[in-house]
Amino acid sequence: MNKIESNCLICSQLLKSTISWKMLLTKRYSPTICASCAARFEHSQSATALYQYNEAMKDYLHQFKFLQDVALAKVFRQDLYARFNKEKAIILPIPMHPFKQQERTFSHTDELLKAAHIPYIQLLEKTTTETQSSKNREQRIHVASLFRLKTDANVEHKDYLLFDDIKTTGTTLQHAADILLQAGAKNVQYFTLIEG
Amino acid sequence: MKGEIVMKYKGWLLPPALRDFHEGRIWLKNHSPFSTADIDKAMKRNYLHIIEGIQMEPIIKCNRCHNVDPHLFTIFDCSKCQRQCSYCRHCIRMGRVSSCTQLMIWNGPKAIKKRMHSFKWAGQLTELQQLAANETLASVKAKRSHLIHAVCGAGKTELLFPAVHDALKRGLRICIATPRTDVVLELYPRFQQVFPKTIIHALYGGVTQQNGYAQLVIATTHQLYRFESAFDIMIVDEADAFPYTIDETLQRAVTKAKKEEAPIVFVTATPSQKLLNAYQHESYSFIPKRYHNHPLPVPKFCTLWGYDKSFKRGEIPKRLRKWTEERFERKEPFLIFFPTISLMHKAIPLFQLINEKILAVHAEDPERKEKVWMLRKNEVQGLLTTTILERGITISNLQVAVIGAESPIFTASALIQIAGRVGRNIQFPDGDVLFFHHGITTEMDEARAKILFYNKEGFSQ
Repeated sequence: MNKIESNCLICSQLLKSTISWKMLLTKRYSPTICASCAARFEHSQSATALYQYNEAMKDYLHQFKFLQDVALAKVFRQDLYARFNKEKAIILPIPMHPFKQQERTFSHTDELLKAAHIPYIQLLEKTTTETQSSKNREQRIHVASLFRLKTDANVEHKDYLLFDDIKTTGTTLQHAADILLQAGAKNVQYFTLIEG
Repeated sequence: MKGEIVMKYKGWLLPPALRDFHEGRIWLKNHSPFSTADIDKAMKRNYLHIIEGIQMEPIIKCNRCHNVDPHLFTIFDCSKCQRQCSYCRHCIRMGRVSSCTQLMIWNGPKAIKKRMHSFKWAGQLTELQQLAANETLASVKAKRSHLIHAVCGAGKTELLFPAVHDALKRGLRICIATPRTDVVLELYPRFQQVFPKTIIHALYGGVTQQNGYAQLVIATTHQLYRFESAFDIMIVDEADAFPYTIDETLQRAVTKAKKEEAPIVFVTATPSQKLLNAYQHESYSFIPKRYHNHPLPVPKFCTLWGYDKSFKRGEIPKRLRKWTEERFERKEPFLIFFPTISLMHKAIPLFQLINEKILAVHAEDPERKEKVWMLRKNEVQGLLTTTILERGITISNLQVAVIGAESPIFTASALIQIAGRVGRNIQFPDGDVLFFHHGITTEMDEARAKILFYNKEGFSQ
């Protein structure tokens, strides 16, 4: 699966790949998108996100999640690898409801981490098939718990890091953190690809 | 009333709309516009034939778009079938096709084809058009593929009417395919006017579903991925336009959407050498003259040394500035073609200093249609554009300049198409076609030589 992309995954323009010593000697993933597509993404100022939501990100999420283009998980693998490779906390991607995941055929948070070869575990499961994006701010904040612990989950007194694709109001992450803290986690932080 | 049994039909009747929609189409099972209950019943009766989305043997192939490029397939762990699935990235915008998706092909009763079609056209074909129309009709009747090579503004659409009408009367299904959405949007109302009682569908990306069984389909070549052995006659308009010529899957789509023995009619002003070689000596119609019987405007070359540097400096080269100002003085609408979007963006503020009534358009411009409309309505006088407006635009008394005509993007056929925008109206049969350049290329020479050749052919007697 570590094939080198010959064309930009977003605009399919030919990628000019140059092999450098840096690439050979340090662990770096080969680029999967061209420079002009990469320039359209806006870096986030936040310490808990990589990117700011913008038009380019909207298109990206549409193609990745709605059109189910799993290959796009690789677009941010270098960034995610750089962020997570020295991480000491246990990484938990936010899960999807099993029905939803079957419908989409993959879990986008898992795939983003898999593409960057970041180890993760799963302790939570989603209780509802409703999506956050279908609700307004008020409805999002006042909602019954979105997650529960998996039956065989063993939450230790350790640091956990939640990972999601996008954070808008933070309700999803808050719910997940609450469950983990109640179950005895020492500390729960979060990190998202995008800040809404 | 005793003893009377109320009879109610409890079986299932095929909804005609389902048949009308699915006949000839290859469609994702979970994307059908009909209820799953109806689809399942139709499948039970073998009305719908199911094939796998991705074929692995002998080589990996998408069964919808026939893409075989291994780079355009991605393997992933599928949560639906719990196995490793491959999917095709090539046609993903039409709904993803993966190993565990099913494609449906209609195999049931055929839709009812009408043989009565009213034909309302009062126009008159010129002698050359008539000849080409007759030749096309004869070829189509004999199921022979045909090439119509007619200069820009020769009236190509009209000469298709007799062949289309004849095919409709014989109860055949016809497709007019073109690489450009603009062309679909232009052709559809014209055909609907000429065949007012015929169900015609216009298909392009983003169109809403249309009802009934269309015996005439006007579609972009991309939409043909969704058809399989559907058409008895295939007409490919603007057969040389981007991306049809470079995208092999589009060419394969044309072949797979038609029935095996169905003929293809290619219509173009600038056929490739490959097309000419294939048809020139067999089934070929050539119209070197415009319908209004005036010669084609011949492009003039004009040097514009180091134009990119002057734009970088923030100046419009002197000759170009003079030409633009002249257009404003004479109140003539104009188009200026640029080789790249970035150069055009550099130039547009400079041009707007000359006059505010200039705008810039490119392919991804959301206001593209409005801007062209403004030029047509005389609300702006000029547009800066990329090659996107090289065809399908007809504005009376239009004048044209090309900046950097030596750039590789301006091939001979692109330049011929650009020159073909000028002098299309009978009241203004002539106009300026200026190629501003930083050195003359063979492509520029070829474009000019071909136009001169057409004029010679058309006016030799």
